[in-house]
Parts: sequence; C-alpha cells; structure tokens
Amino acid sequence: MKNKSIVCEGREIQVATELIRLGARLQMLEAETHLSRERLLKLYREVKGVSPPKGMLPFSTDWFLTWQPNIHASLFMSFHRFLIDHAGVQGVEATIKAYRMYLEHLEHHGMDAVLSITRAWTLVRFLDAKMLKYAQCKCCGGQFVADAYDLTANFVCGLCHVPARAGKTRRKAPINELLTV
Amino acid sequence: MRTTELYSEIKDLNLSYLMLAQQMLREDREGAMFKLGISDEVAEMLGNLTPGQILRMAGSTMLLCRFRFDDGLLLNLLSNHKLDPGAATMHATILAADRPVEALA
Repeated sequence: MKNKSIVCEGREIQVATELIRLGARLQMLEAETHLSRERLLKLYREVKGVSPPKGMLPFSTDWFLTWQPNIHASLFMSFHRFLIDHAGVQGVEATIKAYRMYLEHLEHHGMDAVLSITRAWTLVRFLDAKMLKYAQCKCCGGQFVADAYDLTANFVCGLCHVPARAGKTRRKAPINELLTV
Repeated sequence: MRTTELYSEIKDLNLSYLMLAQQMLREDREGAMFKLGISDEVAEMLGNLTPGQILRMAGSTMLLCRFRFDDGLLLNLLSNHKLDPGAATMHATILAADRPVEALA
C-alpha cells in the first residue's frame, strides 16, 4: 500500500526503527507498518548493520504453553492487558510498551528475556485470534495463557504448582551449583 | 514520636511520593500508571499538580499514599524469602496487573 501522507510515513518509520531496535523480524514490520519491503530492508540494514534473518516466523502455539515460556508470556500479557484496559494504548504501540516494561522487569531482577519481541507480537495475535486464551488459576486467581481448547475449570498455574525439575536447564546448572557451595 | 515530629515525617513522605509520582509520569506515563497502580484520571490529575499545590497537599495531616496490596497471597509473594525471588516477583506482577487501579470516585 502506498503512503499518502509524509507525516504518517515518518511516524511509521519511527515505529519500525523502534521495533528493529527491539529485535523484530521483517515479517512483523511488514504487518505493522505500510512501508514497502524495500524500504524496510534498507531501514533494517541501516539500524542493525546486517541483513534481516530469513525464514518463517515461529508459528506454534505450543511454545507458549511450556513452563518457563508460559510464565514469561503471562507476565508480558499482564502488562499488555493493563496498558489496553487502563492506559488507553492500542495496537502495536501497546506491544512495544508492554515489551519494554517486560524487559525492564527482567533487567531489574537480573533475569534473561525468554520472550522476543516477535514472539510477544505473535502471542498477542494468537490471543486475538482465539487460538490461545486466558485461564484463571484457582489458587492465586492470576490470568495465565492457556490453549484455547484446554479445560480450565480446575486450572492451577505453573507458579502455584511448580512442576518437578522446572527451570533446571543445563545452562542454569553451573550457577545453581555455585550457589549451593 | 512527638506529634510535631510525626507530622513533619508525614509531610516529607507525602512530598516525596507526589514528586516521585510526577517524575515517573513525566518520564513514562503508561509504565508509571502500572507501577503506581492508578487510573488515567488520577494520572492526569497528579501530572497537572503545580508545585504550590503539591506543597499544600503534602502539608496535610494524613498520608496521601495508601497500602495497595491488602491481599495475603500477594503480600506473601513479595515478602517471603524462601521462594525463588525471580519467580516470586513475576508471580506478584502477574497478580498485581489485574488488581483494580486507584480511580477518582
């Protein structure tokens, strides 16, 4: 689609730049702005200094349902929900703001980000398309991301009932050992 | 604590709270609303207070900020040292996001 207004285009370039800085993939930029592919490619190279990665975006809803990604996804969506419900932020703006808040939260507590901006954006779209839904934990009452066809009347979240060995990845192991010594 | 001392402590706290809130709102309005747990209207009102108004408000005999987490579970999450701190703060944040915000009546 061709842009009619230069001001509009300027704003979209700004949004695209911000998204690229946060690590967005080209497909996301194409969906969220009306800029042409060539311009986005150019912008991407200018901002990042390298060509954008090729290949399809992750498209599975399953990723959001495993323990650690589910908690991170639920955290991101709680920021997102707050922004939409209370702060009147909409669309991609809400995704960017919520993602910044998510990064800020993790940085403050010294944790690594699990969700990438592209994953976060996909998550919002999955929820909009009702491929995923919110389930309320019956212990803590929090809203967690769940599969659309899950039975969630007796849902207990991964934080109230932490599965055995959850979060004990090989990458984390040396740090844990250091802490116990 | 003597009463005069108490009032000056309250005034200090009120002043810090109002000034911090204003600064947070100016820097990142939406993020500040989340952290403060306030609605759009309250954010608007706080943001528009003049320094004179802030001083007058702070000088009241009442505390202007109130205890947000009147909920045992949330309190436990934020204060319990036995839990994994990372997971506990994430859990608390997920729960806090759905708590009602402070709104103008």
